Order: sequence, then C-alpha cells, then structure tokens
Amino acid sequence: MTMRSTFRIAVLAAAAVVAVPGLAQQPNPLDNVPEKMPFDIPYGTPISLERAEAAIAAAAGESKKHDWKMNISVVDSGGNLVAFQRMDGAQIASIKISQHKATTAAMFRRETKVFENGIQSGLNYLITLDGIIGSRGGILLMDGGKLVGAIGCSGGTGSQDEVVCKAGAAAVNK
Amino acid sequence: MKTRPVLTLDDCMKIHAAAEAEARRNSWNVAIAILDDGGHLMHFARMDGATPANAGIALEKGRTAAISRRSSGKWEEIVKGGRTSMIKMPGILPVQGGVPIVADKVCIGAVGVSGVQSHEDEQIAQAGIDALLKG
Repeated sequence: MTMRSTFRIAVLAAAAVVAVPGLAQQPNPLDNVPEKMPFDIPYGTPISLERAEAAIAAAAGESKKHDWKMNISVVDSGGNLVAFQRMDGAQIASIKISQHKATTAAMFRRETKVFENGIQSGLNYLITLDGIIGSRGGILLMDGGKLVGAIGCSGGTGSQDEVVCKAGAAAVNK
Repeated sequence: MKTRPVLTLDDCMKIHAAAEAEARRNSWNVAIAILDDGGHLMHFARMDGATPANAGIALEKGRTAAISRRSSGKWEEIVKGGRTSMIKMPGILPVQGGVPIVADKVCIGAVGVSGVQSHEDEQIAQAGIDALLKG
C-alpha cells in the first residue's frame, strides 16, 4: 500500500464518522413498516371489449368538448391492450405513452399520478422500478372493488390527460 | 404541391365495424389493429376470447403491411418460396393477415388481424378495407 492510498482511506474513515451521526439525527422515512399493504386491490375478471370501448367513447367525448386530441388506451387486468383510439390530430408519441400509463396503472394497482407525486417529492428510487411512468393520466377500471383494467390517456398536459381518463373511467366503473 | 388521401379515425371506425362483423359472422375472436401509413396505431380492438398474444401479432402484421406497402402475406410467400433471409428484414412479420389500405393508388395505412387461421385473419382485414373503399 502506498502512502497516498493510506491517506485516502484515513480521510474516508473520518468522513464516515462524521456522516453516521448526521443520518441518525434524520430518520429515513422509508424505514417505516406499515402494518397494511398499500393498494391491496384484488384483480378481477379482465375487462370486456364492450366496456373497454364504452370507456374510450366517453373519454373521447370529453376530449372533443375541449377540442383536445388524445390517444386513449384501455388494458385488461393483466396490463394487455384491449382497445385503443387515436383521435385525428393527436401526437404520435402519445400512442405508446397512453398504453404505458394504462399498463403501469394496472400492474401497480394504482393511478400513475402516485408515481408522479412520489418522484416530485424526491423519491427518486421510483424511477428505478420496472415499467414505471411518472406522469398522471393512467387510472384503474374497477368492478365491485376488483381491478378489471386500466385506462391511459396522453396527448395534452398531464392534467388534461387526467380529465379525459377520469371521464372514461366514470362511464364504466361499477 | 402534391396532395394525398389520409386515413381518419372515422375511416378506422368504419373499417373496424365491418371487420369485427365479419369475424362475428364466423364466430371468430380476433384482435384488429388499424395503422396509418407510418405504421403508427390509430385504432385497436381485441375481441373477448382473443389472446394477449393476438394483440401484438395483429399490430406487427399491420405495421408490416403499412410500412412496406404490401400485404404481410406477400412476405410470407417470399419466405416460403425459399428466401429465408427475408425473416431478418427489419420491421417485417412475414405472416398473412396484414393488408395495406390503398386509396387512389396510395397506401394510406393498413389493417392487421390475428386470432384465427392466417388466411381467415386476412379475410377479416380485407372485409374491413372493402367496407371503406367500396362501401
């Protein structure tokens, strides 16, 4: 071992001694163990095409009211595409984004806004999870307390996407 | 400047309604994808009973027809004819069931179907296109 590396280790060790009490003063909120699991929603029968198309029709209707051009995807409880519509003039990039939002909502059993909020509040680890999209506009489709699918919208701002999604979900949720 | 016809969502809905009717007439459960001339999805529906795999296959057949301007069945024939190297063509799924939509001699998009036998998939796609162009 050279003199220089010995010195470097000494500096690192000193830094560690300083850092540890610093952490102890600020407990990591992620260390908290809640008793109940979050978003513990049972998966139900995959959504039928009829209901998926009803959700899309309602969402597209809401879009038209505002003259918004949206891409709207509906996936089943397995996150697989059931129905899709791209309104005339909607941007091409949003084809995949709308599907990604719907699939993420279904697979994580929560609306994609949860991830947007989490990342915004500094929970950067969320970005490392598989299949995440940190943008609102993906919402669950429910039937009798069970998850049957999800709807994802993209084309406008996240807030516009969400309005359209909610209109679609409201038309079919039971 | 040159102008050309463009596929609209209304057109897609007409195509889809006729294609799905053709499938129902035969009690076939399929996925039907309709794409524009850039191979980008415009309308999609997977009938109850069609598998998640059908969704992806319908899309890829449709994309093949849309971006190559010829039916995916043509590509299948080429491969069957012995040109196996064509399997490696980028963006090409050489399986019958993807049909281009040709209006005024211009390819404006394509329909891809998956769920039953390949020639039946193509029959459904063609029924949808005929409803738009000849209906």
